Amino acid sequence: MTLEHKVRGVDHTAFPTFDPAATVRFYRDVLGFPVVHSICAAGWGPDDHPDFIHFFFDIGNDDRIAFFYYFGLEPVHTQERGDVHAGFGPEVPEFFVRSRHLAIHVDDQDDLVEYRRRVDDSAWPVEMQIQHETIESIYTHDPNGYMVEFTRAMRPVTPQEDLDANLTIDALLDVVAEPEPSFGKLLARKAELIVERAADWELARQGAEA
Amino acid sequence: MTALYVLDVPENTAVAKVAAESGATVGKIGPYFEITADGPIVVDRRATGCRHAVWYSCVAGVAGGRIVQHDKDALRVDPA
Repeated sequence: MTLEHKVRGVDHTAFPTFDPAATVRFYRDVLGFPVVHSICAAGWGPDDHPDFIHFFFDIGNDDRIAFFYYFGLEPVHTQERGDVHAGFGPEVPEFFVRSRHLAIHVDDQDDLVEYRRRVDDSAWPVEMQIQHETIESIYTHDPNGYMVEFTRAMRPVTPQEDLDANLTIDALLDVVAEPEPSFGKLLARKAELIVERAADWELARQGAEA
Repeated sequence: MTALYVLDVPENTAVAKVAAESGATVGKIGPYFEITADGPIVVDRRATGCRHAVWYSCVAGVAGGRIVQHDKDALRVDPA
Protein backbone atom coordinates (compact mmCIF):
# COMPACT_ATOMS: atom_id res chain seq x y z
CA MET A 1 0.00 0.00 0.00
CA THR A 2 1.27 3.45 -0.85
CA LEU A 3 0.86 6.05 1.88
CA GLU A 4 -0.77 9.27 0.77
CA HIS A 5 1.89 11.94 0.29
CA LYS A 6 0.46 15.09 1.85
CA VAL A 7 3.43 17.21 2.93
CA ARG A 8 4.11 20.54 1.26
CA GLY A 9 7.84 21.07 1.17
CA VAL A 10 10.17 22.73 3.66
CA ASP A 11 8.41 24.93 6.23
CA HIS A 12 11.78 25.94 7.61
CA THR A 13 15.23 24.60 8.32
CA ALA A 14 16.96 26.17 11.31
CA PHE A 15 20.57 26.97 12.22
CA PRO A 16 22.27 28.83 15.07
CA THR A 17 24.27 32.00 14.43
CA PHE A 18 26.65 34.08 16.52
CA ASP A 19 26.74 36.86 13.92
CA PRO A 20 23.22 38.04 13.13
CA ALA A 21 24.50 41.19 11.41
CA ALA A 22 26.49 39.26 8.81
CA THR A 23 23.72 36.68 8.48
CA VAL A 24 21.17 39.37 7.67
CA ARG A 25 23.62 41.04 5.30
CA PHE A 26 24.18 37.82 3.40
CA TYR A 27 20.63 36.51 3.16
CA ARG A 28 18.63 39.76 3.00
CA ASP A 29 20.98 42.32 1.49
CA VAL A 30 23.22 40.20 -0.75
CA LEU A 31 20.82 37.47 -1.86
CA GLY A 32 17.63 39.50 -1.54
CA PHE A 33 15.77 36.92 0.54
CA PRO A 34 12.91 38.73 2.34
CA VAL A 35 12.71 38.59 6.13
CA VAL A 36 9.32 36.98 6.62
CA HIS A 37 9.04 36.11 10.28
CA SER A 38 10.81 36.56 13.59
CA ILE A 39 10.24 35.56 17.16
CA CYS A 40 11.62 37.56 20.09
CA ALA A 41 11.72 34.99 22.88
CA ALA A 42 12.24 36.53 26.32
CA GLY A 43 13.12 34.06 29.06
CA TRP A 44 12.00 31.14 26.96
CA GLY A 45 15.33 29.34 26.74
CA PRO A 46 17.28 27.62 29.53
CA ASP A 47 18.98 29.61 32.30
CA ASP A 48 22.29 30.18 30.52
CA HIS A 49 20.71 31.75 27.45
CA PRO A 50 17.13 32.65 28.31
CA ASP A 51 16.63 35.20 25.57
CA PHE A 52 16.89 34.53 21.87
CA ILE A 53 15.77 35.76 18.49
CA HIS A 54 14.51 33.29 15.90
CA PHE A 55 14.39 34.90 12.46
CA PHE A 56 13.36 33.64 9.05
CA PHE A 57 14.16 34.36 5.40
CA ASP A 58 12.03 33.29 2.45
CA ILE A 59 14.00 30.96 0.14
CA GLY A 60 11.28 30.77 -2.51
CA ASN A 61 8.19 28.64 -2.82
CA ASP A 62 7.18 29.98 0.64
CA ASP A 63 9.90 27.77 2.12
CA ARG A 64 12.16 29.36 4.73
CA ILE A 65 15.62 29.25 6.27
CA ALA A 66 15.70 30.30 9.93
CA PHE A 67 18.35 31.24 12.45
CA PHE A 68 18.63 31.35 16.23
CA TYR A 69 20.63 34.12 17.87
CA TYR A 70 21.14 33.51 21.61
CA PHE A 71 22.04 36.60 23.62
CA GLY A 72 25.09 35.97 25.78
CA LEU A 73 26.06 32.64 24.24
CA GLU A 74 29.67 32.35 23.12
CA PRO A 75 30.76 30.01 20.30
CA VAL A 76 30.58 26.44 21.58
CA HIS A 77 33.66 24.95 19.96
CA THR A 78 37.18 26.00 18.94
CA GLN A 79 37.81 23.66 16.03
CA GLU A 80 39.22 25.33 12.94
CA ARG A 81 37.17 23.23 10.54
CA GLY A 82 33.41 23.11 10.29
CA ASP A 83 30.83 25.81 10.90
CA VAL A 84 29.65 27.74 13.96
CA HIS A 85 27.42 24.84 14.97
CA ALA A 86 29.73 21.87 14.46
CA GLY A 87 33.52 21.65 14.65
CA PHE A 88 35.65 18.86 13.28
CA GLY A 89 39.07 17.65 14.36
CA PRO A 90 41.92 16.57 12.09
CA GLU A 91 40.72 12.95 12.15
CA VAL A 92 37.62 13.82 10.12
CA PRO A 93 38.10 13.60 6.33
CA GLU A 94 37.56 16.79 4.37
CA PHE A 95 34.89 15.30 2.09
CA PHE A 96 32.86 14.45 5.18
CA VAL A 97 33.19 17.97 6.62
CA ARG A 98 31.98 19.36 3.29
CA SER A 99 29.13 16.92 2.76
CA ARG A 100 26.33 18.71 4.60
CA HIS A 101 24.74 21.61 2.74
CA LEU A 102 21.54 23.37 1.77
CA ALA A 103 20.76 23.42 -1.96
CA ILE A 104 18.34 26.08 -3.21
CA HIS A 105 16.63 25.55 -6.54
CA VAL A 106 16.57 28.08 -9.39
CA ASP A 107 14.67 27.70 -12.66
CA ASP A 108 17.28 28.38 -15.31
CA GLN A 109 20.75 29.57 -16.22
CA ASP A 110 19.80 33.26 -16.13
CA ASP A 111 18.72 32.92 -12.52
CA LEU A 112 21.84 30.95 -11.58
CA VAL A 113 24.01 33.63 -13.17
CA GLU A 114 22.09 36.31 -11.28
CA TYR A 115 22.71 34.67 -7.89
CA ARG A 116 26.33 34.13 -8.84
CA ARG A 117 26.61 37.85 -9.55
CA ARG A 118 25.05 38.73 -6.20
CA VAL A 119 27.35 36.57 -4.08
CA ASP A 120 30.45 37.44 -6.12
CA ASP A 121 29.81 41.10 -5.28
CA SER A 122 29.84 40.23 -1.57
CA ALA A 123 32.27 39.02 1.08
CA TRP A 124 31.07 35.45 0.40
CA PRO A 125 31.87 34.87 -3.30
CA VAL A 126 31.28 31.64 -5.19
CA GLU A 127 33.89 29.05 -4.27
CA MET A 128 32.99 26.43 -6.84
CA GLN A 129 30.81 26.17 -9.93
CA ILE A 130 30.11 22.82 -11.51
CA GLN A 131 28.18 21.86 -14.59
CA HIS A 132 27.62 18.44 -15.99
CA GLU A 133 25.06 16.80 -18.20
CA THR A 134 22.22 16.93 -15.66
CA ILE A 135 22.76 19.87 -13.27
CA GLU A 136 24.64 23.13 -12.85
CA SER A 137 25.46 24.44 -9.37
CA ILE A 138 27.32 27.17 -7.53
CA TYR A 139 28.56 26.85 -3.95
CA THR A 140 29.60 29.21 -1.22
CA HIS A 141 29.68 29.29 2.58
CA ASP A 142 27.46 31.74 4.43
CA PRO A 143 28.85 33.95 7.24
CA ASN A 144 28.29 31.10 9.71
CA GLY A 145 30.24 28.57 7.67
CA TYR A 146 27.17 26.74 6.41
CA MET A 147 27.54 25.55 2.84
CA VAL A 148 24.90 26.91 0.48
CA GLU A 149 24.35 25.68 -3.06
CA PHE A 150 22.23 27.12 -5.85
CA THR A 151 21.33 24.55 -8.47
CA ARG A 152 19.39 24.22 -11.70
CA ALA A 153 18.39 21.12 -13.63
CA MET A 154 19.76 20.82 -17.18
CA ARG A 155 16.73 18.74 -18.19
CA PRO A 156 13.49 17.58 -16.54
CA VAL A 157 13.66 14.42 -14.46
CA THR A 158 12.30 11.43 -16.40
CA PRO A 159 9.88 8.86 -14.91
CA GLN A 160 12.43 6.06 -15.31
CA GLU A 161 14.77 7.90 -12.95
CA ASP A 162 12.18 7.50 -10.20
CA LEU A 163 12.04 3.77 -10.90
CA ASP A 164 15.82 3.59 -10.88
CA ALA A 165 16.01 5.45 -7.57
CA ASN A 166 13.55 3.03 -5.99
CA LEU A 167 15.45 -0.01 -7.27
CA THR A 168 18.67 1.50 -5.89
CA ILE A 169 17.13 1.99 -2.45
CA ASP A 170 15.58 -1.48 -2.36
CA ALA A 171 18.92 -2.99 -3.41
CA LEU A 172 20.75 -0.88 -0.84
CA LEU A 173 18.47 -2.04 1.99
CA ASP A 174 19.02 -5.65 0.97
CA VAL A 175 22.80 -5.20 0.83
CA VAL A 176 23.18 -3.33 4.14
CA ALA A 177 21.08 -6.03 5.86
CA GLU A 178 23.89 -8.49 5.11
CA PRO A 179 27.49 -8.47 6.39
CA GLU A 180 30.11 -6.40 4.57
CA PRO A 181 27.99 -4.31 2.20
CA SER A 182 29.84 -3.21 -0.93
CA PHE A 183 29.19 -1.33 -4.14
CA GLY A 184 29.69 -4.53 -6.15
CA LYS A 185 27.01 -6.31 -4.12
CA LEU A 186 24.65 -3.37 -4.63
CA LEU A 187 25.06 -3.53 -8.42
CA ALA A 188 24.53 -7.30 -8.42
CA ARG A 189 21.34 -7.02 -6.32
CA LYS A 190 20.10 -4.12 -8.42
CA ALA A 191 20.61 -6.14 -11.60
CA GLU A 192 18.31 -8.81 -10.12
CA LEU A 193 15.67 -6.19 -9.30
CA ILE A 194 15.91 -4.71 -12.81
CA VAL A 195 15.26 -8.15 -14.31
CA GLU A 196 12.36 -8.72 -11.90
CA ARG A 197 10.60 -5.37 -12.22
CA ALA A 198 11.74 -3.12 -15.07
CA ALA A 199 9.72 -4.71 -17.88
CA ASP A 200 6.53 -4.74 -15.78
CA TRP A 201 7.09 -1.12 -14.80
CA GLU A 202 7.22 -0.09 -18.44
CA LEU A 203 4.10 -2.06 -19.34
CA ALA A 204 2.21 -0.53 -16.38
CA ARG A 205 3.32 2.94 -17.43
CA GLN A 206 2.28 2.41 -21.03
CA GLY A 207 -1.06 1.11 -19.75
CA ALA A 208 -1.52 4.19 -17.59
CA GLU A 209 -0.80 6.48 -20.55
CA ALA A 210 -3.12 4.64 -22.93
CA MET B 1 26.99 -14.42 -19.79
CA THR B 2 27.95 -10.98 -18.50
CA ALA B 3 25.22 -8.35 -18.29
CA LEU B 4 25.56 -4.63 -17.68
CA TYR B 5 22.44 -2.53 -17.08
CA VAL B 6 22.34 1.18 -17.93
CA LEU B 7 19.28 3.41 -17.48
CA ASP B 8 17.95 4.82 -20.75
CA VAL B 9 18.21 8.57 -20.20
CA PRO B 10 19.59 11.01 -22.79
CA GLU B 11 23.11 11.31 -21.41
CA ASN B 12 23.53 7.52 -21.14
CA THR B 13 22.65 6.54 -24.70
CA ALA B 14 26.25 6.93 -25.87
CA VAL B 15 27.35 4.30 -23.34
CA ALA B 16 25.04 1.71 -24.90
CA LYS B 17 26.01 2.79 -28.42
CA VAL B 18 29.75 2.45 -27.79
CA ALA B 19 29.22 -0.91 -26.07
CA ALA B 20 27.38 -2.15 -29.17
CA GLU B 21 30.14 -0.90 -31.45
CA SER B 22 32.61 -2.81 -29.29
CA GLY B 23 30.83 -6.08 -29.96
CA ALA B 24 28.40 -6.40 -27.06
CA THR B 25 24.72 -7.13 -27.64
CA VAL B 26 22.43 -4.29 -26.61
CA GLY B 27 18.79 -4.98 -25.82
CA LYS B 28 16.18 -3.35 -23.64
CA ILE B 29 14.45 -4.45 -20.47
CA GLY B 30 11.91 -1.84 -19.44
CA PRO B 31 13.65 1.54 -19.44
CA TYR B 32 17.12 -0.02 -19.15
CA PHE B 33 19.68 -0.97 -21.76
CA GLU B 34 20.71 -4.58 -21.21
CA ILE B 35 24.25 -4.93 -22.51
CA THR B 36 25.39 -8.54 -22.70
CA ALA B 37 28.41 -10.49 -23.88
CA ASP B 38 29.87 -13.97 -23.46
CA GLY B 39 33.20 -12.46 -22.49
CA PRO B 40 34.21 -9.07 -21.11
CA ILE B 41 32.22 -5.89 -21.81
CA VAL B 42 34.49 -2.92 -22.49
CA VAL B 43 33.33 0.67 -23.02
CA ASP B 44 35.82 3.35 -24.01
CA ARG B 45 35.04 6.50 -22.03
CA ARG B 46 36.33 8.97 -24.63
CA ALA B 47 34.29 7.34 -27.36
CA THR B 48 31.14 7.94 -25.31
CA GLY B 49 31.90 11.64 -24.83
CA CYS B 50 30.70 11.30 -21.23
CA ARG B 51 32.18 13.58 -18.63
CA HIS B 52 32.89 12.41 -15.11
CA ALA B 53 29.51 12.90 -13.41
CA VAL B 54 27.60 10.81 -15.94
CA TRP B 55 30.44 8.39 -16.57
CA TYR B 56 30.88 7.41 -12.94
CA SER B 57 27.13 7.04 -12.30
CA CYS B 58 25.98 5.33 -15.50
CA VAL B 59 26.01 1.73 -14.22
CA ALA B 60 22.65 0.56 -12.87
CA GLY B 61 23.47 -3.11 -12.38
CA VAL B 62 25.89 -5.92 -13.15
CA ALA B 63 24.97 -9.61 -13.46
CA GLY B 64 27.21 -12.59 -14.12
CA GLY B 65 30.38 -10.59 -13.73
CA ARG B 66 32.07 -7.77 -11.94
CA ILE B 67 33.55 -4.38 -12.73
CA VAL B 68 37.33 -4.66 -12.95
CA GLN B 69 37.96 -1.19 -14.38
CA HIS B 70 35.93 2.01 -14.16
CA ASP B 71 38.23 4.99 -14.58
CA LYS B 72 38.77 7.93 -16.90
CA ASP B 73 39.74 5.58 -19.73
CA ALA B 74 37.25 2.73 -19.72
CA LEU B 75 34.56 0.66 -18.06
CA ARG B 76 35.30 -3.05 -18.13
CA VAL B 77 33.10 -5.83 -16.79
CA ASP B 78 34.66 -9.30 -16.68
CA PRO B 79 32.66 -12.53 -16.45
CA ALA B 80 32.37 -13.96 -12.96
